[in-house]
Amino acid sequence: MNSIDWIILFTTLALIVAYGTWKSRGSKDIDGYLLGNKSLPWWNVCLSIMATQASAITFLSTPGQAYEDGMRFLQFYFGLPLAMVILSITAVPLYHKLKVYTAYEYLETRFDLKTRSLAAFFFLMLRGLSVGITIYAPSLILSTILDWNINLTTIFIGSLVMIYTVSGGTKAVSMTQKYQLTIIMAGMIIAGLTAFKKLPNDITFTEAFQLAGEMGKMNLINLSFDLSDRYNIWSGLIGGLFLFLSYFGADQSQVGRYLGGKSVTESRLGLLFNGLLKVPMQFVILYIGILVFVFYQFNQAPVFHNQSLKDKAMQTEYAGAITKLESEYNKVFIDKKLEAENLIGAIRQDNPALIEQSRQSIERIQQSEKVIRSQVKEQIATAIPGANTLDKDYVFITFVMTYLPHGLIGLLLAVVFSAAMSSTASELNALASTTTVDIYKRSINPKAEDYHYVTASKWFTAGWAVFGMLFASIANQAENLIQFVNIVGSIFYGTILGIFLSAFYLKYIKSNAIFFAAIIAEGVIVYCYFFTKIAFLLYNIIGCLIVVVLGFIFQYFENQKIKKASQ
Amino acid sequence: MVDEIEPKPPIFAKWRNWYWFVMLVLAAQILVYLFITNLFQ
Repeated sequence: MNSIDWIILFTTLALIVAYGTWKSRGSKDIDGYLLGNKSLPWWNVCLSIMATQASAITFLSTPGQAYEDGMRFLQFYFGLPLAMVILSITAVPLYHKLKVYTAYEYLETRFDLKTRSLAAFFFLMLRGLSVGITIYAPSLILSTILDWNINLTTIFIGSLVMIYTVSGGTKAVSMTQKYQLTIIMAGMIIAGLTAFKKLPNDITFTEAFQLAGEMGKMNLINLSFDLSDRYNIWSGLIGGLFLFLSYFGADQSQVGRYLGGKSVTESRLGLLFNGLLKVPMQFVILYIGILVFVFYQFNQAPVFHNQSLKDKAMQTEYAGAITKLESEYNKVFIDKKLEAENLIGAIRQDNPALIEQSRQSIERIQQSEKVIRSQVKEQIATAIPGANTLDKDYVFITFVMTYLPHGLIGLLLAVVFSAAMSSTASELNALASTTTVDIYKRSINPKAEDYHYVTASKWFTAGWAVFGMLFASIANQAENLIQFVNIVGSIFYGTILGIFLSAFYLKYIKSNAIFFAAIIAEGVIVYCYFFTKIAFLLYNIIGCLIVVVLGFIFQYFENQKIKKASQ
Repeated sequence: MVDEIEPKPPIFAKWRNWYWFVMLVLAAQILVYLFITNLFQ
């Protein structure tokens, strides 16, 4: 990092905050503050939705995912366009027609107040905890890379977001997100092109594809139906559809984005264009990871990508063992580079026998690399007990910091900060909307002036931001909190999805049936968490199914009771 | 449950065509990705 990088980084961040605050000034009524006066055109709705979903971890982790595991992660997003179509048909016109501020408000129209409050409470629990992690996860990586104090990094990101979300509400969130996403995509594409330009021997774009393919990284589609395999086309289409239906249909941080659309048409087009663009965007991000992978076939990759953690381990008695392993790793690289060059030569000659021979050699070398890397990780884990030796999330950012020219480093860091800010802003805005509209205005203080609710929303936004930052500081001390938050998400998501699915599609189920079904479903999920070994990702499906099935059963008995009473 | 007055979509005559378009683009992408997988893997 030099002064150009710092100037670019801080100017970009300052401009975003200033622009968001200035552009959204004067939101004095609740419509303006929580819905942005429903003034957004479709393209802004689309960018806002995409920026909300793409957190900093998406940009740090996804290229690393492709680097380690190939491009098969792309299949995870195949259910998203289908979810966009379904929500455009059902949720969008319904939410617009009822003129709701939050998704949970609709549940009172469809069921009753207690179901609305229950769903809002579940949402506040899951999103309230996750906002801390949305700030914490990138802070951890950025503080390591920039050598900043983790708590200061957390406060820095949290405070920047707080300034414009508190002052401008939804409008500020959406206004800033269009620029944040533009910076993010421009930065990522420039990083990808730089990685490509740094490849030796005039390797073409297709050859980079071929080389990655020969090394097993172009595993885009897996047609086999295997429940134990996390990424195949079926789990992407079916599992992804359910996941994205609940995320975009029942999670206020996304619903709030398309509720800000000018009309049903603008909100719908925003969602549909997200469906058109999301998969190619993920393809581009994953392919950047592949380019970094190909780049490291010709350039020495670090034996461990989290340099800061490795430096700490080097100050212990394990330094000798790590250095020895590192020099072995460097020797292996010389062979790998030679074989990679042979492979490119074989590809150019279109010689299948030579290609196969080089491929097998590279596979063997990669295996030895893997063994050395895992030995280094073991040494680091022993040297620093409790340290997280997963370095996948550091692959891309370490590449950026080491190989990108000055100026671009600043831009790419601005990308990561922007992504962290855009997703946090949507979460804070959604938490404040839900607390104000579904809890405070509905059940605590229903008769105040409009201006009072704007002030209350601002306080709730600030309150949730402070809560997020505090939670992030605790997360720093207890690493397993991240896992806990993911589990909390799964504990509540399934039930919320079950309530909304029943609300949209199962007219038979009425208020009392759904309310008690949701409470029992939540009880069963909590039981599963404490007393069974069921994978927590399955809680989403189990919770949703219990709500729907019990909802039907309870409604059947209630109908029978009503029938008997009327006879 | 849809608005009583369905807003007219841009470009296409009906919203249904938009939905088919999004799904067709997804299908086309899957075919391209399948082709890339088979070509390079």
